[in-house]
Amino acid sequence: MSASSTSPVGIDPRSPRFGAGITAVLLLVVIGLALSGADLAAAWLLVAIAALFAWGAFRGIRKHPYGAIFRRLIRPRLSPPTELEDPTPPTFAQGVGLFVVVVGLVLHVLGVPLALVVAAAAAFLAAFLNSVFAYCLGCQLYLLLVRAGALRRKVPPRAPGVA
Amino acid sequence: MNATAVLTIVGLVLFATLLGLLWRWRTGRVETSRDTRVDLPEISADASATLLQFSTAVCAPCKPTRVLLASLADEYAGVEHVDIDLTHRADLAARFNILQTPTTLLLDGGGVVRGRIGGAPRAHDLRAALEILLDTRHTDRTPS
Repeated sequence: MSASSTSPVGIDPRSPRFGAGITAVLLLVVIGLALSGADLAAAWLLVAIAALFAWGAFRGIRKHPYGAIFRRLIRPRLSPPTELEDPTPPTFAQGVGLFVVVVGLVLHVLGVPLALVVAAAAAFLAAFLNSVFAYCLGCQLYLLLVRAGALRRKVPPRAPGVA
Repeated sequence: MNATAVLTIVGLVLFATLLGLLWRWRTGRVETSRDTRVDLPEISADASATLLQFSTAVCAPCKPTRVLLASLADEYAGVEHVDIDLTHRADLAARFNILQTPTTLLLDGGGVVRGRIGGAPRAHDLRAALEILLDTRHTDRTPS
């Protein structure tokens, strides 16, 4: 763990896909538990998933525990990656996952029926598509946020006023 | 687990698989269009065709797309590659109705949109569209 520089170093694109696969399976377990009447267990598992999303979103995808599992157990069995990927997109996706799951948990605590199931299902779709099809959530969602003006706060100095 | 839970999970996995297959089938294709003219300072008037790529920072396939389009621009004389980050150009995203990145517009020499590609372009399709557009004598391409 000596990655100390702040410059984005590429990551193996298979690492976040591996992590998304674990997340997708865990989200199915949440749905199974919630629909079997084990609401409390489902809620706590979703809290754990939220904590993992938060880890990825705030500390960066390279610090994610699933990334460590990938490096230790999976990557030695694979051929070297043909290309490296920018860590920003998967880190953004972790933030989206965190948002969806937290909304579900809050609604569940407020007593909204099926909130856990719906939130877990939405997060599952994104995680599954990401893992199996290399679908990039940020590619679509981020643009919607840009168009909605939600991301205009971080204008770098090199971008002058755009008419 | 009860039957509802099992059916929900199986249904969800099937639905996600269908969505994924649909997405994979649609992404990267060249849709022909005879759209508006693009009038941007980034577009060179001398180019006989321009590959206009729209990207953002949180877009994993944008980088490989950039590499592909730059290599095509190198390969074909008169073709230029322009990459615009939409993060601070929400106006452009709205103007060209861009819903995903990368989106690539294939412009002819007059700056008119002749093709549109959502997602990472399929190299073979794009090459074909480009060659039709250039109407080329570029037939002696070395086999790749």
